[in-house]
Amino acid sequence: MISGRNGSRLRPRARDQHDQAREGSSVHRRFRLGTLCLGLVLLGTAGCSSIKAPVPTDPDALAEYKAANDPYEPLNRKVFNLTMKFDTWALRPVAKAYVWAVPRPVRNSLGNMITTMNEPSVFFNDVGAGKPRRAGDSFVRWCINMTVGVGGLIDVAKMAGFPHHDNDAGLTMANWGISSGPYLFLPMGPSSFRDGIGYGIDQGLSPWDYVPRGYGLVSFNWAYNMMGVVHGRSEHLEDLDALQRDALDPYATIRSAYQQQRKAQAEAIKNDRRATVPDWYQ
Amino acid sequence: MKLLSGRRIVLATLALTCASGLFALPARAADNAKQFIQNFGTQLVAIVNSPVPLSEKKTKVLPLVQKNVDIDGIGRYCLGRYWKIATPEERQHYLALFHEVLVNAITDKLGEYRGVSFTIGDVSKSGGEDSVNAILMRPQQPPASMQWVVSYDSGQPQVVDVVGEGASLRLTQRNDYSSFIARNGGSVATLLSALQKQLDRHNQASN
Repeated sequence: MISGRNGSRLRPRARDQHDQAREGSSVHRRFRLGTLCLGLVLLGTAGCSSIKAPVPTDPDALAEYKAANDPYEPLNRKVFNLTMKFDTWALRPVAKAYVWAVPRPVRNSLGNMITTMNEPSVFFNDVGAGKPRRAGDSFVRWCINMTVGVGGLIDVAKMAGFPHHDNDAGLTMANWGISSGPYLFLPMGPSSFRDGIGYGIDQGLSPWDYVPRGYGLVSFNWAYNMMGVVHGRSEHLEDLDALQRDALDPYATIRSAYQQQRKAQAEAIKNDRRATVPDWYQ
Repeated sequence: MKLLSGRRIVLATLALTCASGLFALPARAADNAKQFIQNFGTQLVAIVNSPVPLSEKKTKVLPLVQKNVDIDGIGRYCLGRYWKIATPEERQHYLALFHEVLVNAITDKLGEYRGVSFTIGDVSKSGGEDSVNAILMRPQQPPASMQWVVSYDSGQPQVVDVVGEGASLRLTQRNDYSSFIARNGGSVATLLSALQKQLDRHNQASN
């Protein structure tokens, strides 16, 4: 479009405008960029046939619709299909290759490392959920495994009576009484409004995002995150294969299982009245 | 001395017996459920760990599953709101297919494990059903905690659900079926043909 004489005239003018904008406040520029992104996202979503599922009128169907808690089902299904395509063509083969190439004990050690590296995030969430004894356990796990456990490769803390427990910001918020909000399927897996926000908070709670540049730690962080994804997928190779083979509607099956599991996890944290000392000491 | 008259003692004893009977009742029901799962589990694990070929394991496990699992009850539950609108023939056809699907799902798992053991934990009550906690130990894998839900609706204790990692198998299955039916025109017949297809595929793969 920008060619010939018109183009040569237009270009410097555009550059002038750009320079002016750069001289102006960066906040303003960021705002414009944000609006542009928002506009693009809105355009993109408007391009989809529909985002929200129609609310059924039949009372039985309505009860089912409410129980599924998935008003954005059409959009979620699109993300689900894309994610599954990516999984079939990229993530699953990589995870299979990883299982093939790396022997079980090494995979277990890497799994231990990934779990230990995530321990700070678990700790902060335990504190946030008002569970000091759980927080103590994750703190002790971090200290033991990062030192005696050689950077988390050996789960010494488990042998000492401090087994791993999971926690994330979504569950912390659940413990505060915040309801999950509508179900969402995000590229990283099943989620909800609450758990999606929690995912963002967890990223912020992980100390690996604050490593200084120039010590090879940034590349370590990348390797660690990618490793975590591949390792996590390799742990569920058979489960997901079976699910895709046996479920008539894998999307609905994953949604149902995810929602039930999150509810049970939040409940388990609420009812966790563990002792301060490990079992063998009592 | 009137306090200890014969009539009063008899009445008091009667009342006490009734009260203790009442208190003992739920405990006995819980014990029943526990005992039932213990027996069923021991028999299952014995078959799983036995050094016989897979086909023999399958034939051995079948009568055990049919006796101890309320397959029809689970089937009705899984069809959910569509059970009401299904015709009697569809219901019958569905239950026959569901029977096969469920038995396949169980027997497919048999070959995967060896050297399995389990421990039974406490029992909790929800509605008319007892939920028995159990921990399954498999070699080189983390222990899996699960709940076996036992119902007495059929007159004898039978398993109606298994809850693993907080997810109920029958509820997840119901959501799978109902979502499939709803997205395929709301007719039970579509589900039946899909189940038939699934079974055909399974039989082809195992032959």
